[in-house]
Amino acid sequence: MMDWQRLGPRLRRFLAHRFADLLLIALLVLILFPIFWMFVSSFKTNQEILESRTVLPSRWQLRNYVDLWEQVNFGLYFRNSLIVCGTTMIVVTLLATFSGYALARFRFPGADAFGMAVLATQLIPGILFLLPLYQIFVFVKNRLGVPLIGTNLGAIILYIAFFLPLSLWILRSFFASIPRELEEAALIDGCTPFGAFWRVALPLAAPGIVATAIYVFLTAWDELLFAWVLNVKTIPVGIRLYVGQYVNRFDLMMAASVVVTLPVLITFFLMQRQMISGLTAGAVKE
Amino acid sequence: MATSTWRPARRNGLWQRIRKHRFAYLLTAPTALAMLGVHFIPTLLAFYMSFLRLNQFTLGRFLRAPFVGLANYALIFSSRNNALVAGINNAARNTLIYAVAVNVGTLGIGIVLALLLNRRFRGRGIARTLMLLPWVVPTYVVGMLWGMMWLRDRGIINTILVDWLHLLSQKPFWLIGRNTLWAIIIPTIWRQLPFNTIMLLSGLQMVPEDLYDASAIDGASAWQQFWYITLPLLKPVVAIVLLWGAIFTFFGYNIVIMMFGNGGGFPGEWGDLLMPAIQRQSFGYWMFGLGSAVSILMMLVMMLFVGIWYRVFRVSLIQE
Repeated sequence: MMDWQRLGPRLRRFLAHRFADLLLIALLVLILFPIFWMFVSSFKTNQEILESRTVLPSRWQLRNYVDLWEQVNFGLYFRNSLIVCGTTMIVVTLLATFSGYALARFRFPGADAFGMAVLATQLIPGILFLLPLYQIFVFVKNRLGVPLIGTNLGAIILYIAFFLPLSLWILRSFFASIPRELEEAALIDGCTPFGAFWRVALPLAAPGIVATAIYVFLTAWDELLFAWVLNVKTIPVGIRLYVGQYVNRFDLMMAASVVVTLPVLITFFLMQRQMISGLTAGAVKE
Repeated sequence: MATSTWRPARRNGLWQRIRKHRFAYLLTAPTALAMLGVHFIPTLLAFYMSFLRLNQFTLGRFLRAPFVGLANYALIFSSRNNALVAGINNAARNTLIYAVAVNVGTLGIGIVLALLLNRRFRGRGIARTLMLLPWVVPTYVVGMLWGMMWLRDRGIINTILVDWLHLLSQKPFWLIGRNTLWAIIIPTIWRQLPFNTIMLLSGLQMVPEDLYDASAIDGASAWQQFWYITLPLLKPVVAIVLLWGAIFTFFGYNIVIMMFGNGGGFPGEWGDLLMPAIQRQSFGYWMFGLGSAVSILMMLVMMLFVGIWYRVFRVSLIQE
């Protein structure tokens, strides 16, 4: 056993850093392995996956992706997911921008109560309002003839409400970090309050708004419970129905996993900075 | 007399303040309406539904179903040999263990990882990006992927542990029995780790450098610096990370539901969580009254947690 204290301080620092490097590499290997495994498995035959003797596929074949494309009506699920997530993203971002700005800038009577109520919604388990809403949706269908179960509209209504509170809170902190002097100057120059918001504050908050929009889209992209219960044919529901049919066809499962992860991965590489700023904005003040 | 002149004046003041903030109310109104319609009214309805005998026979009557008072709640806490209730009790126990284990795990590993990434070294940006990658994997994919990796005979995890590293003599079952808890905890830690790490990292980057310099002059060891400088300053971030982690785990659904039988299977006695259990019970057997009661209890437990959370972290949250 070497005596740590007798080593020189520079050597000690050097060793500590090399140890830290090794630890970091080990952790990164553990973190990345499942993603690597998902990727390589999607190119293997099911036989090869089940034997799990080799790490890399003996032959990189695209058969799984072709099968997936032919067996699953990906066009339908993809279109539904785009419609549901896209509409939710636009409406939520718009509403959250308005109310987030109001909460950040004006101390109007009821502002604190409103802010607290918004946060309190996060403590409600989703299933709690899904139970009455499901019955309300049935009621609406029977009485008014508007189908909300099994349609994109029903999912959009639920998603808007579900993702609104947190988006509002993220955008509030973005607006709060913008100095208000610019808007005050615009008001003095004869700008209307809406003009000050629209032409001055909004452009400055654009990165935060983009971050929030991405956050909403990706969270909606990942939502399974509501879509499943309401029988909306989005991608998560399609995947669950599909893999449920083909028990133990891990080759197809992994191809499907890669296909649905890729859009998120690409978005992440393109918008990494915005996504991280959106992530940390709600919690860490500048 | 004094009060009668004072009162209208005050109301007038409030009214004027409201009028003055017309623009703010206009901006908030759509959000308030949306949340009223889809959050508050349904929550109240669910609260009422939890007092109704709302099952497949009475579902059509909705709010006119027979009022049974606290019977649904009593059923949950009864020790009667009821398969439904036993399922919910198991799920509640698992959810508690799951929430604690996942949050302790992500926080502990997250702090280590954040400290490792907070050093100056070449390739730091790349390391940070790679660390974030599990976060882009959709949660339902996490469930499927790990479900495949946990397989007993053919899963890669047992292959590594037993065939390659010889750490265990026999291949354990991960998706049956008590090990199921690990099978759902570990993937969730894996998925949640990037979020915690990036938050803690941004917290670390706000610790002023000169605090470390000053304490080093005073002869503080690296451990003392971490314990007396870094950790207290990280407290606000830890608070936020714990709160989101609690919500994410307590209301967890996707990972568990997709891990067993490709999304069609039952997670079993030691793998079921409350959200999947309530969903199965409510929409599988149309037990909406019981489902509402369990959901209300979940919300109350969450409120209790936030109350304690606020007491613990109040000081550091206000300081921030």
